[in-house]
Amino acid sequence: MSRFPRLPAWPLTLKVPLLVAALMIAVAVIISQIVLTRLVKDQETNLTLLANAYLDGLSAAVLPAVIRGDVWETFDVLDRARGQYSGVEARYAIVELPDGSVLAASDPTSFPIHSPVPAELRSKFLNKDGLVINDDVGRAWLTRGLRAEGFSVGQILAEIDIASLLRIRSQVVLTLILVNGALAIAFSLIGYFAVKHMLQPLGVLSRYVERAREGRVEPIPERYRKKVASEFGQLFDRFNAMARAVSDRETLASHLAEQDKYAMLGRLASGMAHEVNNPLGGMMNAIDTIQSHSEDPEVLSKSLDFLKRGLAGIRNVVRAALVTYKGGSDTSLLTPTELDDLPFLVQHETGVRRLRLDWRNRVPEPLAIDGPAVRQITLNLLLNACAASPFGGAVAVEASRSDGALRIAVSDEGPGLPQDMAALLTSAGRIAAPSRESKGLGLWTTGNLIKRLNGVAAVERRETGTRIVVTLPVKTEAARHAA
Amino acid sequence: MIPAVSRRSILLGTAAASVSSILPAAGASEGFNFGLTPLFLDNDIELLAMVERYLTKRLERPIALIKRRTYHEISAMLLSGQLDAAWICDDPYVQYQDKLALLAVPLYRHKPLYQTYVIVNDSNSAQSFDDIRGTVHAFSDPDSTSGYLVTRWMLALRQTTPARFFRDSFFTYGHRNVIRAVGAGLAQSGSIDGYVWEVMTEREPELVRRTRIVFKSEWLGFPPIVTPMVIRDMPAVKALGAALLDMPTDPLGQKILSVLALDGFTTGTPDMYESTKEKWLIVKAQV
Repeated sequence: MSRFPRLPAWPLTLKVPLLVAALMIAVAVIISQIVLTRLVKDQETNLTLLANAYLDGLSAAVLPAVIRGDVWETFDVLDRARGQYSGVEARYAIVELPDGSVLAASDPTSFPIHSPVPAELRSKFLNKDGLVINDDVGRAWLTRGLRAEGFSVGQILAEIDIASLLRIRSQVVLTLILVNGALAIAFSLIGYFAVKHMLQPLGVLSRYVERAREGRVEPIPERYRKKVASEFGQLFDRFNAMARAVSDRETLASHLAEQDKYAMLGRLASGMAHEVNNPLGGMMNAIDTIQSHSEDPEVLSKSLDFLKRGLAGIRNVVRAALVTYKGGSDTSLLTPTELDDLPFLVQHETGVRRLRLDWRNRVPEPLAIDGPAVRQITLNLLLNACAASPFGGAVAVEASRSDGALRIAVSDEGPGLPQDMAALLTSAGRIAAPSRESKGLGLWTTGNLIKRLNGVAAVERRETGTRIVVTLPVKTEAARHAA
Repeated sequence: MIPAVSRRSILLGTAAASVSSILPAAGASEGFNFGLTPLFLDNDIELLAMVERYLTKRLERPIALIKRRTYHEISAMLLSGQLDAAWICDDPYVQYQDKLALLAVPLYRHKPLYQTYVIVNDSNSAQSFDDIRGTVHAFSDPDSTSGYLVTRWMLALRQTTPARFFRDSFFTYGHRNVIRAVGAGLAQSGSIDGYVWEVMTEREPELVRRTRIVFKSEWLGFPPIVTPMVIRDMPAVKALGAALLDMPTDPLGQKILSVLALDGFTTGTPDMYESTKEKWLIVKAQV
């Protein structure tokens, strides 16, 4: 596995300059090759021209002396020619006679007069007029025949130092490397800053998208809109349109949730009326009994007890409804009693569907947590469980405290919570409001409440039914007092 | 200058052997032809200009300085009347002593004398004349006393010739060239005018540094300024002699002498060249 991330995963601000640098290097290599090839060719052409000019001058000057076999005159020409031809640095020049002996050389110590030209040296030269170039040793060898009236009277052999040409080549290579390297770096930097500048609107967009994910859907301000290119401007416009749509939807969903709340209140009210009405018949009977048997203390006592229980039941139902829908509770505290009221509110739901409610409140003492919110969460989940459970099924609620958190588990025996509904509770990010037509406003409200209390919810699907576990952090005592 | 010479050459060339051919150019009022053999300053334009200016002033007529590559050419021109006077080597003088009159003899180190040197390349181990046997030898000119005759005479005394004594030999037609040839290693030994070698030691030490003297001859009469015998009494010729003798007293003349590293001129006598003549005769007898 590669140690580096795949190229497509790299940021554009890195990829583009790298691509520019790679292209520049490729272009530089190609151009350098072309320049060098052309330079080498030009240098060889120039060297040939210069060498020919050198040999033309030398042969014209030396020919009369060679015809006469004049050692001194030949040497004098070769000696004076040294350094006279710019561009041709002759290391030595030899005039060789047709018999292979030296008539004279510019370096007579190495090539004494009338001695044979060394065979090893002779092999470096062409046997006809021309130039042999050896870049490795930085030398070129020239041969030029000397002719008079059609007869060969000898030839000039000269060794040329081409180190200066090779030096120019090295300098050109160095210049190419430096210039192209500097250009590659400069273009890469320009590419980096240009791309960074061009991608700035994406950063703005990303920031606002992240805010939206956190629940704050805000349009991108106009001042950013003015600075960006038209493509990004359109993108910003679309984002702002979306932000407005989301905002509208939120408002609408809130209204719907409110309406749902009142609808539920209506249902609860009718349930409560039923719960109140039920004991009323018995209570009327008790009153009748009291009226007819007022002298019998036992009957009187039983009837009054019955009346008391009936009134207590009515009081419980009414109080629970008041606490839930009129507010007024302390939002920084949850008392165990506040939770224990909830079964009264769902009495009607459980009664009608003949559900068994297993209510276990293991919270021993008041907790530093938003009580009304917790009641709302628990009530919503409980109502949902009641609605989902089949006739005669069982619904269980368990509230407990552990490791600084309040844990509320609500289970039912329903067909199971659909995936999209479960997501309203469990999604970590912002939850999109359900559409007007769809169900789940209660769960959406519950999910938002859970998030507001920094809690999490887990939906467990069991063989029969669903179990929803909500875990809400509870402030420590010290924190609560400080608050 | 050149057209005058050319015209004269054409005129005289058609009758080179005739008496009229040696009739003096100095008789003509329009100019004076003075020949120079290549000594060591064979390319010193400034010196030639100074000599021309000095002689023109003193002779009150245009002076043409004639230079040729070899001594022989100058001698031939002098003898054929193409030149009114010439500075030649003592060898041609002794060869044609009956036809040439001495006008003046240079004073080198206050004497009208000089020596022949035999030099070798500094890397050569030769210590004496006999050690140069088998070397490649550079002569100056076949008509030069110091650059050929003395060495030739030394070989004649040894009953040998350059072709037998030396591995190879060639002429460079200039004393400075002998130093160049020996210094560069083209030749391992060479015959040269001692006066030229000494002067060049001061003026071109880098060139002379690579040579070393292995033999010095006896003192010989210095190469003289001569005129054809037939015109020696002509006013212009006499004026030339006087101009040369007066050179140390003239500012321009002093400059010329300074460049030539000479002290002045003296009137020479033929007996100063007896030794040279003796050597020439010996060599001539061998040939």
